[in-house]
Amino acid sequence: MIIDEIFELVSYNVHEEAHIRVNRDACQKCAHRACTFACPVSCYEWNEERGRIDFAYEPCLECGTCLIVCDAGALEWNYPKGGFGVRYRLT
Amino acid sequence: MKRYDVAVAGAGPAGTTAALRLAQKGLNVLLVERGEAPGAKNMFGGMLPNCPVVDELLPDFWEQAPWERHVVKRVLTIIAESSATSIAFEGKTFDKPPYNGYTLFRPIFDKWYAGKAREAGATLLTGCLVENLLQEGNWVSGIRIGRDNGEVKAHVTVASDGVLSLLAQKAGLCNAPKPSDVALGVKALFRLKEEDINERFNLVRRQGASQEFLGCTEGIRGGGFIYTQTETLSVGLVVHLDSLKRSGIAPYDLFARFLSLDEVKQMVRGARLVEYSAHLLPEGGYRMVPRLFTNGLLLTGDAAALCYTNGLNQEGMNLAITSGFLAAETIADAFQKGDFSSKQLSLYEARLKESFVLRDMKTFERAVGLMHNDRLFSVYPNLVGTIMEEMFRSDGKPRRRIGRVGWSALKEAVPIRQAISDALAGGKSLI
Repeated sequence: MIIDEIFELVSYNVHEEAHIRVNRDACQKCAHRACTFACPVSCYEWNEERGRIDFAYEPCLECGTCLIVCDAGALEWNYPKGGFGVRYRLT
Repeated sequence: MKRYDVAVAGAGPAGTTAALRLAQKGLNVLLVERGEAPGAKNMFGGMLPNCPVVDELLPDFWEQAPWERHVVKRVLTIIAESSATSIAFEGKTFDKPPYNGYTLFRPIFDKWYAGKAREAGATLLTGCLVENLLQEGNWVSGIRIGRDNGEVKAHVTVASDGVLSLLAQKAGLCNAPKPSDVALGVKALFRLKEEDINERFNLVRRQGASQEFLGCTEGIRGGGFIYTQTETLSVGLVVHLDSLKRSGIAPYDLFARFLSLDEVKQMVRGARLVEYSAHLLPEGGYRMVPRLFTNGLLLTGDAAALCYTNGLNQEGMNLAITSGFLAAETIADAFQKGDFSSKQLSLYEARLKESFVLRDMKTFERAVGLMHNDRLFSVYPNLVGTIMEEMFRSDGKPRRRIGRVGWSALKEAVPIRQAISDALAGGKSLI
């Protein structure tokens, strides 16, 4: 699948700090967990064992889908610092 | 603290056009881009429609600009369960300059274009995020950037920071977009030999083609596309975010199934996948366009939701360029008068309303409703398939007249009252 090879297909300059923060308490009330399937690179995953959202910011394409589909207000959403994040070569 | 006449946030087509035009008018302009180079954050894989204001900006714009192919062929393919029906338009006049539309790569185009703004005298700052607006009372007095202590004062700020426009939200001009107002685009770039592309799409020289697909999104409102560049194909899906959210389907899974359709497979056969990308598009039409100005601030391009589709046209980049141009003209007038108030800057909206930008969006205002009709993406594509199949099928049974075939397929597919109301709504929004 495409997103399994994301780091081969897309170039990133990953900042050491995450540009999006997830308030996991707010996630607890969420019934749809749309972020776990709507994110086009699957940054969000429901961890059944720990009963919480696991989040990886590194493959983020900075599209904002998670921010728009989240209605629990669980995301503190920013763009990465200047010069960091995704850098499309051609596209 | 630095001071400029005008600060522009975002070096996409809207922001760069504004900066270029303002620099040409002799104003001291700062153009700030968060990507390491202009275009580095962009995944555009469509067509820039011909856009006359660029000729006023740069003589021989199209001779200089790095574009890939000029689009002469537009194909619409309607996918049904067991068939595909295509309509192909080939415009002979679209094959002569001025061409009607161009495919291009934004990381290349944007970099070139921002270079032109720089040559004209604008200051370009890349790898730098605009973190906030400076606000004094109800005036925007500049921007805060993530560098050198941060504050940049400007008489006017232009927010060209894209579809999410965090800056427009900070200025209180709009709220965060709702899922029903935006679409998610996912795209893969495939490398293929130029002659293979020419052969598969029946093209010669630098001719290009676009192909749109309807009925390929498993009932989610949206569609698929293929655009030809010189040696690559942009292949993707655009889906309404509210509809995607309701479906529970992951966009990459939907995309994988789109890529496995025969009609898509035959175009990308043997091609090498080289990049994957995703972005949001404003999809709310005229209704979503926010207030475009306040004291000391203008919104342009996607940040102003200037982007629309009516099913056949998908336009954004030309609207962005034209809005940047008209913003610059308005700001130049404001400098002549020394007045940067909301009242003076409101002339920007008046200019947009006179131009094709807001006129086209207004013309197709009701197409947004049509594009939000679920049946357009599943029921009706299948209906087309059923009718075409019966028309062409030879099985020894007596044929029926086309009207009969259509009527019985329609009755089968959707309640007649529904069909009539859809037809009326479709007619009103497009015809």
